[in-house]
Amino acid sequence: MFVSRSMTQKVISIGPEASAIKAKNLMSEHHIRHIPVVDPEKRLIGVITDRDLRSVFPAPFYKGEEESGAVDEFKKLKIKDVMTRDPVSLTPYDTIQDALLLIQKMRVGALPVVDKDGKLTGIISVRDLLRAFINVLGIGTPGTLLCILVEEKVGQLKKIVDAITEENISFGSILVARYWDKDKRAVFPYLLTQNVSKIKKKLENMGYTLLNPMDWYMDQLPKND
Amino acid sequence: MKKTGFLYDERYLLHDTGPYHPETPDRLIAVHMGLDKTGLLSRLIPLKAVYPDMKWIEAVHDTEYIQKFETICCSGISAFECEDNQICCQTFGIAKLAVGGILDVARRIMEGELDNAFCAVRPPGHHAEVDKAMGFCYFNNVAIAARYLQQQWGLKRIGIVDFDVHHGNGTQHIFEQDPTVFYYSIHEHPSFAFPGTGRAFEKGAGEGVGYTRNYPVLPGQGDKEYLDVFQNDFLPLFTEFAPEFVIISTGFDAHVDDDMSDMCVTTQGFSDIMNIIVNVANTHSGGRMMSVLEGGYSLRRLPELVANHVEILLNS
Repeated sequence: MFVSRSMTQKVISIGPEASAIKAKNLMSEHHIRHIPVVDPEKRLIGVITDRDLRSVFPAPFYKGEEESGAVDEFKKLKIKDVMTRDPVSLTPYDTIQDALLLIQKMRVGALPVVDKDGKLTGIISVRDLLRAFINVLGIGTPGTLLCILVEEKVGQLKKIVDAITEENISFGSILVARYWDKDKRAVFPYLLTQNVSKIKKKLENMGYTLLNPMDWYMDQLPKND
Repeated sequence: MKKTGFLYDERYLLHDTGPYHPETPDRLIAVHMGLDKTGLLSRLIPLKAVYPDMKWIEAVHDTEYIQKFETICCSGISAFECEDNQICCQTFGIAKLAVGGILDVARRIMEGELDNAFCAVRPPGHHAEVDKAMGFCYFNNVAIAARYLQQQWGLKRIGIVDFDVHHGNGTQHIFEQDPTVFYYSIHEHPSFAFPGTGRAFEKGAGEGVGYTRNYPVLPGQGDKEYLDVFQNDFLPLFTEFAPEFVIISTGFDAHVDDDMSDMCVTTQGFSDIMNIIVNVANTHSGGRMMSVLEGGYSLRRLPELVANHVEILLNS
């Protein structure tokens, strides 16, 4: 779960003396929105984002509808005039959980990754994290998601896993929504099968409530955190 | 009354999926019973299965995959590639007979001997990928039929409409780059149902962009939503595409009494959407259409569902 495994290693960077227009062109060419700024020794000194550029270029120029009169003035703008200095960064041995929490806290779309000497080694973006979580959720593998309401007490998950395993069904993933209702949790097993009617009946016979899919709700975190 | 063929063969019952599987031979017995009881059987042209020329299966599936399927069946192993795919030693042969029967029906329709047909086959096909069995499916029956119609009969535009409650991932992937085969699928939303594909943004690839259409429907929806989708989405798209032949991947598992899904379509709802499909085929395809059984697991409802379905074909 380390950042080094999920980050983009071939990171596009730029120097502080380069023109801001160059950053704009790099972003559109590579479909990216964040470019780390490095000194000649590749040490991270800043980050430039599409938002930084939008704040200094007028919208028509940013969109490529150039106005010849103003272009010369924009050409003089350097990266160092626009970038965010001393940006928050991660190391390759921070975890993707660290990355998720930090990205949420800092309200940014990506964080640069630097080694112990402060040299740029990668960048991890929301997109990289999404890819990791798509993998963890097992969405890419054919299967069926169930939602089971359980009492919040020790041993519930084991009973469910055992009941499913007895039917010779493999798990793609299993998620637990920590808080559903008072003293209730919602368990979401993703089963690698089309054949779920029998196991659904079995779980109901064991006394579990299978929630109506239209009531499923995974995001139990307060939204305005 | 149309000359409607009915492909049914007792050998299709020999594909044994074991004691706890929903895709059982009893499904076809229920289908046959429904047609017999209502007297429809005597109005249909009965057709038995024949073995296909293997080149048509190879027109869709990798030869390595076909060989592996045959080897596993012969070895006596009870599942192929995944526990869902329960097999017996006869499964390979029966899967070939499903394809062969369907291709023979397609030929008879093209030669004018039949107007349309219902193919009560097992195993089903729409989940089968080029090199992978999935979701009780081994050979992609409708995809093979479409390739046959393209290559043997030179058809330029083939429309496949799939109303099985599960997305036909195999059919979509086989034709997603092909603008001459339009794949239209309505199914339970993939976040709630197998196989997890068929999202609205999957619209084809390369030259085929715009010739794959997925309409995921949320759990609990029924006749009203289905009819709305068929009238306001399917109908205009197929009218514009104007297929020369319509192939229907017929699954009855969106029925309210089918425990394989969370959908609430009624028996009448299935008739309503079938009427729309038949009208499209009559307008654009000279009535040339072939309905191929995919899912549908309610043994209690299958007889009436199939009887209504076939009656619509007969009276189209």
